[in-house]
Amino acid sequence: MSRDGLLRFADTVNRETAPAPAPMPGGELHLIAFGLDREEYGIKVGQVREVIRVTEITRVPQSPPHVRGVTNLRGRILPVVEIRSRLGLEPAVVTPRSRIIVVDVQDRVLGILVDAVLQVAKVPLDTVTPPPDEVLSPQTDYINGVAHWSGRLIILLELEKVLLLQA
Amino acid sequence: MTQEDNAFKELIDDYVVECLPLAERVADTFVELERRWHAGSVADDLLGSVKGTLHTVKGNSAMMGLAPMQELAHALEDVCALLGRDAELQTEQTAALLVAGGSLLVEQVRAAAKGGDRRRTREFVAQVRALESRASESAATVDRRRGDRRGTAEPGAEPSGSVVRVDFRRLDTLLEVLGEGLIEHSALVEAYRRVARRSEAVEELGDLDRTIVALEKTMKRLEAVVMGIRLLPISTVFGRFPRLLRDIAHGEGKRVRLAVSGGETALDKAVLDRLGEPLLHLLNNAVVHGIETPEERRAGGKPPEAALELSAVSHSGRVVIRLSDDGRGLDEARILAKAEALGLEVRSADPEQIRSLIFLPGFSTAAEVSQLAGRGVGLDVVATSIRGLGGTIDVESQPGRGVTFVLNLPLTLAIVRSLIVEVDQERYAVPISHVAETVRAEPEAIHEINRRGVALWRGDLIHVSDGGALLGTASSPTKARRFFIVISSGGKRRGVMVDRLVGHQDVVVKGLDPTLGRPEVVSGTTILGDGRVACILDAVRILDQRIPA
Amino acid sequence: MPNSFLVVDDSKLHHQMYKLVFSRGSLAGSTVYHATNGREGYTMLAEHPELSLVFLDLNMPEMNGLELLQRRRAERLHPHIPIVLVTTEGTKEDERRGRDAGAWDYLRKPFQPADVERIVARALSDSRAASA
Repeated sequence: MSRDGLLRFADTVNRETAPAPAPMPGGELHLIAFGLDREEYGIKVGQVREVIRVTEITRVPQSPPHVRGVTNLRGRILPVVEIRSRLGLEPAVVTPRSRIIVVDVQDRVLGILVDAVLQVAKVPLDTVTPPPDEVLSPQTDYINGVAHWSGRLIILLELEKVLLLQA
Repeated sequence: MTQEDNAFKELIDDYVVECLPLAERVADTFVELERRWHAGSVADDLLGSVKGTLHTVKGNSAMMGLAPMQELAHALEDVCALLGRDAELQTEQTAALLVAGGSLLVEQVRAAAKGGDRRRTREFVAQVRALESRASESAATVDRRRGDRRGTAEPGAEPSGSVVRVDFRRLDTLLEVLGEGLIEHSALVEAYRRVARRSEAVEELGDLDRTIVALEKTMKRLEAVVMGIRLLPISTVFGRFPRLLRDIAHGEGKRVRLAVSGGETALDKAVLDRLGEPLLHLLNNAVVHGIETPEERRAGGKPPEAALELSAVSHSGRVVIRLSDDGRGLDEARILAKAEALGLEVRSADPEQIRSLIFLPGFSTAAEVSQLAGRGVGLDVVATSIRGLGGTIDVESQPGRGVTFVLNLPLTLAIVRSLIVEVDQERYAVPISHVAETVRAEPEAIHEINRRGVALWRGDLIHVSDGGALLGTASSPTKARRFFIVISSGGKRRGVMVDRLVGHQDVVVKGLDPTLGRPEVVSGTTILGDGRVACILDAVRILDQRIPA
Repeated sequence: MPNSFLVVDDSKLHHQMYKLVFSRGSLAGSTVYHATNGREGYTMLAEHPELSLVFLDLNMPEMNGLELLQRRRAERLHPHIPIVLVTTEGTKEDERRGRDAGAWDYLRKPFQPADVERIVARALSDSRAASA
């Protein structure tokens, strides 16, 4: 799905002009919200090990395009990837607000480069709406839904699918 | 209660009359059991029948106060029960133990009037206990068995009592932590230098300097100890070859003798584990392709039995393994012909280069396909394995006289002495073993032939690539870079242009995370003294790459 | 009337031992019957209702001690005669099974003449109490 399509959908939910699909029942999601360009995204806190500042990232020749490089995390060599291209965004410019979110998923530890880490939030499930069918496509199966919470819109990502880790 | 004050001691003759045939029956049963197991059949019924008899002998001996026989019968009962539960223990060794126990029981019962020999039965019972504890140990460590079949015995290890069993993965962890220590030490040195430049506290600086030097010595000693623990003698790999070779030679109808030397040469277990297969392939190829039949040999004036020599020698951090045969030698004309047929360009004047062609995929010097050749593996697979270990493989040959393969392996995979170079502000580590020379680049020295960079080096014309182009950081070739390094392996050489030569360092090799895909030119990563990550270049792969037009 | 006893055991040696035990001390003058297997033992039990005590070995071929006890219980043969089960090793479980089958007590090997005397004395006083 194009970026515009996603934004349009988000606006729809925001304005409540379209009949919203039934929200999910009780409970809450514990997530970490981060920013890429102007949007907010969220991933489950359970998969996050830590958040670090961006220090030297060493390029690795002939590595896949979404791999930014590797960095030294207390003696451990951490691959750093970008998920921007997957989401249809331009490559990142690193600023002082940039961070690396270190995640542990499917026994792999790697870092995701983001523009900023916004907060860790407990979002009630009934503020989450699953994306309607016209938004979802095989290319965008990584979107779990959108949380409309505290005046903000957080696009919920399924990390494994974003990282294309599932066979 | 001893036998002396036993109320029934006057019945000793009756005891012998009753128990001697029983003991003999037990002994006979065990002999039969051993025979059956050796023939590959089962003896479970025998185990069942002998249990009751042993029980009776035990009870009788107990009543008579004859503790040695009682303990012996009891121990034998235990073994039978254990065998009933664990079929894996039905080995020759266990059978021999039972037979020995049976005949000891007969002996003791026969001489029961003397009261029994406590010491000898105790010795036997100790053997049974040892068997039992081995059995329970093997049951508890089933998953460990998968990973470390050779155990962790050091060369010249003491017999049990002064040996500790350690999971080999713990030694990897130990090495990692040591590596981090080395990195931090380098960082400390750099920090010291920065402080020293700006400080006037001369005396304190002197103390600090001395401490850092002392720390380095300690780190080096620690490194030596840790590496030493991981070392195993190469005989653990060489040991099984004579037997395997006999089988292969027999299958090929050839007569071969293998002489092995340098078995005590030690290598890191991680290298050793991956050395067996390529060596075996080389041996197989030697017998199948290199060595002639006894008739051919006689016709050629050679002894009918071929001689194979396998040796290992270590020096300056590397181990050199040589495998030579006195067979046919390489047929260089045939190799050249094959190369042309495959469309490869070869400088026919360079015999070394011709010979190294056999390590390319698609080469086979066998004219006919023998029965076993299907099992034989191409030498390219062997070369890849050896290079994967950070080693090199070369071949020497004399037509009609034989072939010698020379393998040069690092003592360890874990720490590699490297040259650190800089290209476009990125640093890379190149293992010293693959660096032939570093040269200051004079612009006039690099020429262009067919739009490819070449340079004259030690009388040879070698290709020179731009480091930036090779590593993807720049697209314009031969920018004004100040140095080039000559990397070499297996008779191949190439120059790579770089910006700076930073220095030498022992780097701790960390593998490539799967997230990084499969880069061709990079074999691993490491952390330099300043905390930055550097990629370790795979010199061998770089040399294998075709020169871009 | 002297006391009579039955020993059921497949070991000739044990029979010698019992003979020795019953020829001395307080047990001297007793009548002892011998059976070398369970079947024989059962027959002899049936033929001698006057027995004071039976010593029954557990491990015997053909019919073992436990099986003899179970048969006796099933056929209600001379329930008044106490039977001692003689074993080499015994777990609590074995003991329970023996008692369930009708054993009056256990005698563990190796035993000494004194152990036999003790158990005989107890059996005799028990039966006297019972018939009193």
